[in-house]
Amino acid sequence: MTKIPEMPAVGRGFISNLDLPVVDDPSWTHPMPASERRISIVSTAAVHRRDDKPFSWLAKDYRAFHKTDRDLVMTHVAVEFDRSAWQQDLNTIIPLDRLEEMASDGEIGSVAEEHYSFMGAADPVTMEKSARQAATRMKQDGVNTVFLIPI
Amino acid sequence: MSGLAHYFESEGLSTVLVGFVREHIEAIKPPRSLFLDFPMGRGMGKPNDPAFQKKVIRAAFDLFNAPEGPVIADFPEVIPVKDGRMGYALPPELVLSVDDIGGVEAVLAEVTAEMEALRPDYDTAVAERGRTTVGASGLAIEDFAPFVAGFLDGEIPQSPRKGMPAITLLKLVVEDLEAYFTETRTHRDNIDDLELMGKWFWEESKTGRMLLLLEAVSVASDNKVMLQIVEMSLMAPRFWSEGPLPGTSAAGW
Repeated sequence: MTKIPEMPAVGRGFISNLDLPVVDDPSWTHPMPASERRISIVSTAAVHRRDDKPFSWLAKDYRAFHKTDRDLVMTHVAVEFDRSAWQQDLNTIIPLDRLEEMASDGEIGSVAEEHYSFMGAADPVTMEKSARQAATRMKQDGVNTVFLIPI
Repeated sequence: MSGLAHYFESEGLSTVLVGFVREHIEAIKPPRSLFLDFPMGRGMGKPNDPAFQKKVIRAAFDLFNAPEGPVIADFPEVIPVKDGRMGYALPPELVLSVDDIGGVEAVLAEVTAEMEALRPDYDTAVAERGRTTVGASGLAIEDFAPFVAGFLDGEIPQSPRKGMPAITLLKLVVEDLEAYFTETRTHRDNIDDLELMGKWFWEESKTGRMLLLLEAVSVASDNKVMLQIVEMSLMAPRFWSEGPLPGTSAAGW
């Protein structure tokens, strides 16, 4: 396992100095049975539809995209993560095809109409308002389950 | 990402996340999380491997069976990283200076020729994959290199994209250039190797060399944003290097 002290100097310094949010009274939502789960993906890869506004470097907002959208581009500011995987296969970071297959097989209930992307370089505390707005949209779509995938 | 989980959970949505830095997961304590010992940028592990991707998803979704939390599980399979770094990094000693530029026109000419030679394979890759990630900048492919070359004399050119400053656009063009190369090569040679792709583009290609010259121009620039780009490792991949780029502190964040 790669631990922070074993990381090279520049990245180690950055990652170990991040201010991490502290949640004193965390919520716990009881999950629905698998067959009733309607799932939306939340990514912090700063991907969006080609004609959407690019993310700013420390963006607090989000972009939504439809479950059938495949023409996505990435405007993430950071370069520390591999981009060659998602270039080959979107499912490596946003597994919409896999979730559709699992819904067809009855492993999950259904795939949400909309999925959401944030700028992972920004402080998550600044994203709270946007996250709650996205949650409202999810609930309007009948979503009860969120799969969070970082980049 | 772990912080976002708390917001969604408090909205009555049950959440599960995957993550690459176990210490952060342990500190932020999202309700349900699956630690992945993978390189960053590969949350589902392996491209074009549906069986592996589903193993990751199922391992994450198994955490919905936990009666209480926070719960952290470790995905049992490892995708190794090199020397503790979670992505490709330039060798610290590979640094160019503005004296290496020579003539801007000659630099542009060799990059243009290199890109044109790749174009048939790029077009094939796009046609067969049915998608491309190239184009975040909004510029045409043939305009990428001339736009970057416009910075090499130390001046900031006009942005051709309405509403987007030139340096912001430059960052996206650099991304587009790398995507153009790696999309082409991963498809043409049927390889999936992030270290090989990084080495080829940044250490061996003429286009990578042009970007290292751009980095040298940025370090020497009076423009604070140009300097910030290299201080924050936002252009050339030095985030996982053993030491900052000479002339910078790597403390821009």
